[in-house]
Amino acid sequence: MRFAKIFVALAATTTLMLAGCASQKEPAEKAVAQVESSVAEFRADAEKYAADELQKIDASIGKLKNSLANKDYSMVVKAAPSLNSTIASLKASVAAKKADAEATMAAATAEWTDLSAKVPQMVEAIQSRVDTLGKSRKLPANLDKAKWETVKTDFETMKTQWTDATTQFATGQADAAVRKAREVKAKGDQILSQLGMTPNA
Amino acid sequence: MSTENPYAQYHVVKQGDTLSKIAEEYYGDKMLYPKIFEANKDILQDPNKIKPGQKLRIP
Repeated sequence: MRFAKIFVALAATTTLMLAGCASQKEPAEKAVAQVESSVAEFRADAEKYAADELQKIDASIGKLKNSLANKDYSMVVKAAPSLNSTIASLKASVAAKKADAEATMAAATAEWTDLSAKVPQMVEAIQSRVDTLGKSRKLPANLDKAKWETVKTDFETMKTQWTDATTQFATGQADAAVRKAREVKAKGDQILSQLGMTPNA
Repeated sequence: MSTENPYAQYHVVKQGDTLSKIAEEYYGDKMLYPKIFEANKDILQDPNKIKPGQKLRIP
């Protein structure tokens, strides 16, 4: 009789425990699905702007899925809210970084548009003068031989650097292209000054 | 060179200027005056006839 009572008690306890576990299974599965779906929404941007943080979140999701596979549903249900909070923070941070990067790109593109109009015009004007002076029997009063040699060397450098800047911009390196283009324009201004040519723009 | 080039250089003719004097000033060589004449054929018909106030492009 006593053994029967113990047996019934044990059976009842086991049934209750199994029922409890089963009742957490669906919430745990939903929690994992929801976490994965949240990350999927911004994964591409996260890979670009916050790869290290994304890696940590992926590791946490991995642990959650292991717990689910091991039927540790209460662990999954307990850990999911905190992970969701971390994901939400990362999503906001990635959005801010993306907006920043896009604004920087827009500014660089605008400056490039201006410089890519001015620099070729500068090169054209200097080229014309250098070609004419190259035919001269003497140099003008404002230009001695040493200065003239410097002008010619600097002008060749300027043209090479402009080609580099153009290539950089064409290959998506807008920031680097603009930095180089600024240097090219500064060199052009210097050459114009050495030649006694007044920049009008 | 396009006349819209902001880096194009100009000389405003003064009394007593000649194309060869202007060429000497900018190029160091009077004999390069045809360069200036060619660049200003839209306003000059004769390289020996320039007038004060004319704005000449100096290539």
